[in-house]
Amino acid sequence: MCSSAVLEQSLSGSDVPANEGMLVAAARSGDAAAFECLYRAYCSRVLGLCLRMTRRRDIAEDCVQQTFIRAWRSLAAFEGRSAFSTWLHRIAVNEVLMHQRNRENRSELDHSPNPRSERFSSGEAGADEPLQYQPAGKERDAGEVMDLERALASLPEGSRHVVILQAVYGYSHEEVADMLGIAVGTCKAQLHRGRKLLRKRLGLSELDT
Amino acid sequence: MTEHEPDQLDARLARLDRNIEPVRDLWPAIAAAIAEPVPHTRDAGSTRWFSSSRFHSGRSWAIAASLLLMIASSAVTYVVTQRSMQAEVIRARQAVAQQLQPVLAVMPANFGGQMQMDAEYSRAHAVLDAQFAVALQSLPVPERARLERSVGDLRRAARELSAMLAEHPSDPLLQELLLSTYQNELGLLARVNGLQSATSLGADL
Repeated sequence: MCSSAVLEQSLSGSDVPANEGMLVAAARSGDAAAFECLYRAYCSRVLGLCLRMTRRRDIAEDCVQQTFIRAWRSLAAFEGRSAFSTWLHRIAVNEVLMHQRNRENRSELDHSPNPRSERFSSGEAGADEPLQYQPAGKERDAGEVMDLERALASLPEGSRHVVILQAVYGYSHEEVADMLGIAVGTCKAQLHRGRKLLRKRLGLSELDT
Repeated sequence: MTEHEPDQLDARLARLDRNIEPVRDLWPAIAAAIAEPVPHTRDAGSTRWFSSSRFHSGRSWAIAASLLLMIASSAVTYVVTQRSMQAEVIRARQAVAQQLQPVLAVMPANFGGQMQMDAEYSRAHAVLDAQFAVALQSLPVPERARLERSVGDLRRAARELSAMLAEHPSDPLLQELLLSTYQNELGLLARVNGLQSATSLGADL
């Protein structure tokens, strides 16, 4: 088990665990406790990504679980050429996309009935619902953040994914294109479209670009 | 404003918290899943494929091995038979054919709606059965016990099939099975009688 002391030592005030390399190496050798530490360090970040991409907490949590299960089983393939978090995010994005493909195959509609508590706020679906988490930061910023989250959630799927990965999580055009399996040009176009829609919905001036 | 200079939208997006805490602990389900023995060398997709493939492959190997063993066994038996017992086998086959001829002559190709064999069949069967009883006496005890057990199994199967056929008289599968069981029993009786005759004949020669 990943003790809180180990976890605190691992995180040490940074997004990246100080002893990440050791934890990854131990997990690769089958140490589930080390892997739990990695999970504790990264689960909220992976959930943030999945939740923003899927807009539904239940689906996002499923994707997080599948991401870590897949990561555990694929640890031998992790060569350390990218950051562990980037590698996890790639798996998470893949899980989300797989889920969406499966949902499309089952002809499920995005607005199918769901418990209110399961739905992330969205401009198109449930935009009047409260956010399911309280963002860190000052209270006066909370309204602004909620507006932004709603605007993000209301974006068309393609644009939303690109904006989230690039503008929120900081990946490059090439990385985002690779993660989503699209061309770099498409990625740029989706980002442009997404930003334009966001500005419009947030009432920001075009001149601000 | 240049393209590289952060605008208000970028600034707001950058302030978003990238981390969202789960409302429930997701680890127990993950821990349960990873506790299963799965190879670490492939990703999940290929692992599922690998597991499934390995399962089917393992089963296929078992079937293939069984078939190979049967073929090898049959081939060895055939070669040995051909080389060392060819004359005896030919005599035995002739004797079996001779024994079965009167019975097969009265055995119908199918029941045609009947559930019982006719009297002529019963008489031919009784003759074979009597010869079988005699032939058994000349066999070693273990061999005799094995043959009696085999005949008993066949007769029990025939009784059960007859009972089922009485309830479903038009069932073609049951008819086929019962007919096949009768033929197997007769075949066994005739083979034992024929082999015994051939052995006697061979000894006489």
